[in-house]
Amino acid sequence: GRLAPGLRSFHVGGPPEASTEANVSHGKEKQASVELPLHWSEWQLLDSILPTGGFAHSFGLEAAIQARLISSPDDLRTYVIHILENTGSLLLPFVCTATTSPDLETWHKLDRMLDATLTNEVSRKASTAQGSALLRVAASVFTEVPSLKKMREISLNFGDVAFHHAPLFGIICGLLGLHRGTSQRAYMFITLRDIISAATRLNLVGPLGAAVLQHQIAFVAEAMLKKWKDRAVEEACQTSPLLDTVQGCHAYLFSRLFCS
Amino acid sequence: MESKIEAATGKLVVKKVGGKSTVTRCFSKYPLKFIIPNKVGSSETDAVWVYTLTYGGGIVSGDSISCEITVADACTAVLTTQASTKVYKSLGSKSSEQILEAKIGSDALLAVIPDPVTCFSTASGRHESGEKWDFELYRSTNHIFLEGDQPLFLDSVLLEQGNITNIAERMQDYQVIAMVILLGPKLKQIQIQVQENVRRMMSEQLYLPSTGLRPHGKTQSDHFLAKPSFVVSCSAFGPKGIGIVVRIAAMTTESVYRFLQHQLAGMETLLGVSPYS
Repeated sequence: GRLAPGLRSFHVGGPPEASTEANVSHGKEKQASVELPLHWSEWQLLDSILPTGGFAHSFGLEAAIQARLISSPDDLRTYVIHILENTGSLLLPFVCTATTSPDLETWHKLDRMLDATLTNEVSRKASTAQGSALLRVAASVFTEVPSLKKMREISLNFGDVAFHHAPLFGIICGLLGLHRGTSQRAYMFITLRDIISAATRLNLVGPLGAAVLQHQIAFVAEAMLKKWKDRAVEEACQTSPLLDTVQGCHAYLFSRLFCS
Repeated sequence: MESKIEAATGKLVVKKVGGKSTVTRCFSKYPLKFIIPNKVGSSETDAVWVYTLTYGGGIVSGDSISCEITVADACTAVLTTQASTKVYKSLGSKSSEQILEAKIGSDALLAVIPDPVTCFSTASGRHESGEKWDFELYRSTNHIFLEGDQPLFLDSVLLEQGNITNIAERMQDYQVIAMVILLGPKLKQIQIQVQENVRRMMSEQLYLPSTGLRPHGKTQSDHFLAKPSFVVSCSAFGPKGIGIVVRIAAMTTESVYRFLQHQLAGMETLLGVSPYS
């Protein structure tokens, strides 16, 4: 039977089975199946408290400050917008394709391709660190999707999978039942969330100011999403070569809070 | 690898003839022309230099110039331009394009050392103040594949005027961007040297401004807070880091030429002449 959109049913403590009604028990299962609205998983996935190590990355903001490219609140706002545009043009195609085809073969192909596309060593390493952490957490948390754990184990055994962040984010969203529209918007959201968080830790803005800025920029992020969503990975491109160059300087910083 | 360019404007094949890298096939049609001097640099170096020239000195809208080059095993070829490529905008313009497709054999070396591409917003080609980055669209794609079409380096930069962000704002005061790719075991020493040089250069340029974020005010130490006029970073890529990519954003073309001259001086032994000298 078909599940109502947005709902996923699972047996507490047992493997997932197709079920059309709440409170129906199958065979020997004594516990009732529970239908959990997808919002719970979606919100947990986007919550910054999920331990994926996103707090370690500043998206080149720390290097930009030390290169004196950010010297006013306007500069910060501009910087965030440019990073969001580049996220749209470069990474959304990977999130989109992965969400639409969340299978092992597609994932590996996207992972290889993104590895060749992230030519900036700093952002490439940040991507693999975050992707690995995300998959590890997702496999442990979303146990009703056993393929997450399986795909992770198979790929660790292969040894040449980089575990890049954007494709994995898309895969996890796809396997959870999220639509590609949602996953791409979510990816823009977490990028905005993480840069704003980095900005507060770099003392560019206070917590309240950061929250205000995040909401203001959300309108711009939505416009970026509309412009860059649903594209093929062959079209992926970067739109901010200056920021790419500056982010690449992160390894030259004498003192730093962040990994990238 | 099959040729994907149906009617290439130019084709070049470099093979060993009598133990020396030689152009064995050279075809070009308007507006592209190849100039192949008999001797460039030291006679001890085995390298053939090919200069490309575009009639009219520039590319106008609708032009599509494509070039295929094959460098056979153990050969060395250098592809360079005679002067900077100027792209002009004309009324009702379609976009123009330049495509280079290269196939490189084992133990072979291809050096592509072009002069800059300059985009002018006016048909007359005069660079007026306030017109910086004032073109509609510029896309630069550099893809490198290993044997079996395995993607190694997929880079595509798109500069397009948008309603939310314009190009000048993204580029700030930097008038020039450049990228250098050094790939393969023959270039290992130069790669190591360049990485070290770039690290040293930029370490001096990056520091925490002593003042924090200031709202629009000026400070007494403005020069201390000025952006570096030359920003460069270097990344390794590929299995075992067989390649490095250097990215540059600079305020003047001259500073980029100086940088390239200095960093690539070590290539004289491979190419016969130092690039950009």
